[in-house]
Amino acid sequence: MIDLIQMIVNGIAVGSSYALMGLAMVIIYKTSEVPNFAQGEMALISSFIAMMLLTSLNMSLYLAFFLTFVFAVLLGCFLEFAILRRAKEPNILGMIVITIGIEMVLLGFVSWKFGADQKTMPFPIGPYDSFIIGDIFISKLEVLTLVAAILLMGTLYVFFKYSKLGLAMKATQQNSVAAQIVGVRTNRILMMTWGISSLVGAVAGLLLSPTIMHPFMMWDPLLKGFAAAVMGGMTSLPGVIIAAYLLGIIENLFGGYISIEFKTVVAFVIIVLVLCIKPSGLFARHYIKKV
Amino acid sequence: MKKNLGLVLFISLAFLLSFAPNLCAEVGVTDTEIHLGQWGPQTGPAAAWGNVARGTGDYFKWINDNGGIHGRKIVYHMFDDGYNPAKTKAGVKELQEGTGMFAWACGVGTSPGLAVRDYLGKKNIPWVGPAAGSLHWVNPPQKNLFAVYPLYHGEAKALIHYAIEEMGKKRIAIAYLNDEYGKNGLRGALEELEKHGMKAVAQVSMENKDTDLKPHVMKLRKSKADLVLLWTGVGHSARIVGISKAMKFAPQFMSTSTTSDFPLMMHITKGLWEGVITATLGELPDSGHPLLEKYKKEVFEKYAAKEERWGVFYYAGIIFTEPMIEGLRKTGRDLTRENFITAMEQIKGFKGIGPEVSYKPYNKNDMYSRQGGSQTFLVQCLAGGKYKKLTDWMDIK
Repeated sequence: MIDLIQMIVNGIAVGSSYALMGLAMVIIYKTSEVPNFAQGEMALISSFIAMMLLTSLNMSLYLAFFLTFVFAVLLGCFLEFAILRRAKEPNILGMIVITIGIEMVLLGFVSWKFGADQKTMPFPIGPYDSFIIGDIFISKLEVLTLVAAILLMGTLYVFFKYSKLGLAMKATQQNSVAAQIVGVRTNRILMMTWGISSLVGAVAGLLLSPTIMHPFMMWDPLLKGFAAAVMGGMTSLPGVIIAAYLLGIIENLFGGYISIEFKTVVAFVIIVLVLCIKPSGLFARHYIKKV
Repeated sequence: MKKNLGLVLFISLAFLLSFAPNLCAEVGVTDTEIHLGQWGPQTGPAAAWGNVARGTGDYFKWINDNGGIHGRKIVYHMFDDGYNPAKTKAGVKELQEGTGMFAWACGVGTSPGLAVRDYLGKKNIPWVGPAAGSLHWVNPPQKNLFAVYPLYHGEAKALIHYAIEEMGKKRIAIAYLNDEYGKNGLRGALEELEKHGMKAVAQVSMENKDTDLKPHVMKLRKSKADLVLLWTGVGHSARIVGISKAMKFAPQFMSTSTTSDFPLMMHITKGLWEGVITATLGELPDSGHPLLEKYKKEVFEKYAAKEERWGVFYYAGIIFTEPMIEGLRKTGRDLTRENFITAMEQIKGFKGIGPEVSYKPYNKNDMYSRQGGSQTFLVQCLAGGKYKKLTDWMDIK
């Protein structure tokens, strides 16, 4: 029984980083219907910038993180403005290929600028500091990630539901022509979406960095975040969060009770199953254009 | 007409003769140069071992600045394969068939090496000192392939032997990477356990891309192991030790020589690597060994990049290529692949900063005709990443 509870706790703990990456992907998808495969590397470069500010420039943690968040927003806006917006006659496939190109450029830049050696980021909470309740343990850093994920999800939910900008983003996704007619500047909305998404990804990257940092550190969280986004529905914020935690728990239970060797492939099996059975995801209500 | 024909023949002959030295020379060798290649993961999951190839490069620069080898300078071609066997194969073929290498040095990783082993073997292109202790290099032996790195299989046996005989451990679990590197260590450990009438209380495998290792550590904890042997990558090993600490699971950890760069391991585990026992493949960085000190002063301090760190992985790039340089020196000025292989076979009891290295004339039934290094010693990590030597060099044949 203790093992079962521990596996569920582990699943929730690891699900938080999947949730943050999934959230970041969903934010862009909601407005542009483009899965952004550069999301992981955008978070990666922000994390390495934070590391540089902390270690090379000896900044305080708060200042370094604040500047990193500013950088993340500007990076997202820049990529949309300077690259994606310039695509001629863009279609979804073309945009996906562009995000893959951006991913490779950012990865190459981080490897060249910061080196490929494994590092850890200085952080007040050690990656292996943990709370022990009875026989159940959970890492303090993962609790922080969980809190960050819930807070961000809540903020984004309120933002999309009630703020003017959030509603404009929703309108842009549902019908960009109609949104333009009613005065929404869709280009600007898309740019802001990329900025916000980059910020959410940066939070995920920063919370993973105290454990281990190297240029490929965001691959696994990105893939799992994408799996969660597909599972939950690419347009549903609560959906991606629930799916991310479900994915974490399923992975851990699978590893514990069925096969540790095949634990890694669970996420991909889920992607295939969901795409076959309910392509819009388990929790999304996909907008359907009516004649 | 006859006069003209003679002139044409004379000019043609002169033209052909002008190419004669190149036509007769070995691929990758000119009057003044020897072209040697190496792959090394400068990016990707095994990037922590990227300094092996950089160490070799600095060592070759030092050789060149000290007169080269019989009047020839080494031209070193290194490429980043990202520990991806497909990239290794593509890169080796490109350099071999494009520029033309005389021989290949080191090359990190069992899987990347396996991707090019047969290609190099079929062309009889010498390959010295693969930077991995895999049985695949020498079982069966290949004429062109000279291994230096002591076998993982033997390393694992030495570690398990020490755990049982010297530490009295009774419940031993093994965590390993699910590839040839991990399985080499697993096989050695299981054989040694069987020799002592024991079985592993748990065998936990993991994939290269796994980052959530809590389920793996839970399995190890459930086994109530009093010693866990890690045959995983640097990052995995760090995570397992860290998560175990968080779960209040505190067995003795042992690990392979690939994690014996203690300052690095202490840095990425934030001090949790203290107490871990590993095998190692060269003299210790703080041992004061005269040749090692010479390399530090004349190779590392003079040629290494500013951000490079003096450590086991860096000078492993020297350990694996010292016998190659010895072989090139023994070959003399008439440098052909056949002559080089013959000279390598004459190396007996060569001692640089790694294990003693000896080869024999090629014998397809004797893997030690090509497995040069068969020694290791065990060390324990102390506070500050310092080394405590637990044993002397020991034979692990």
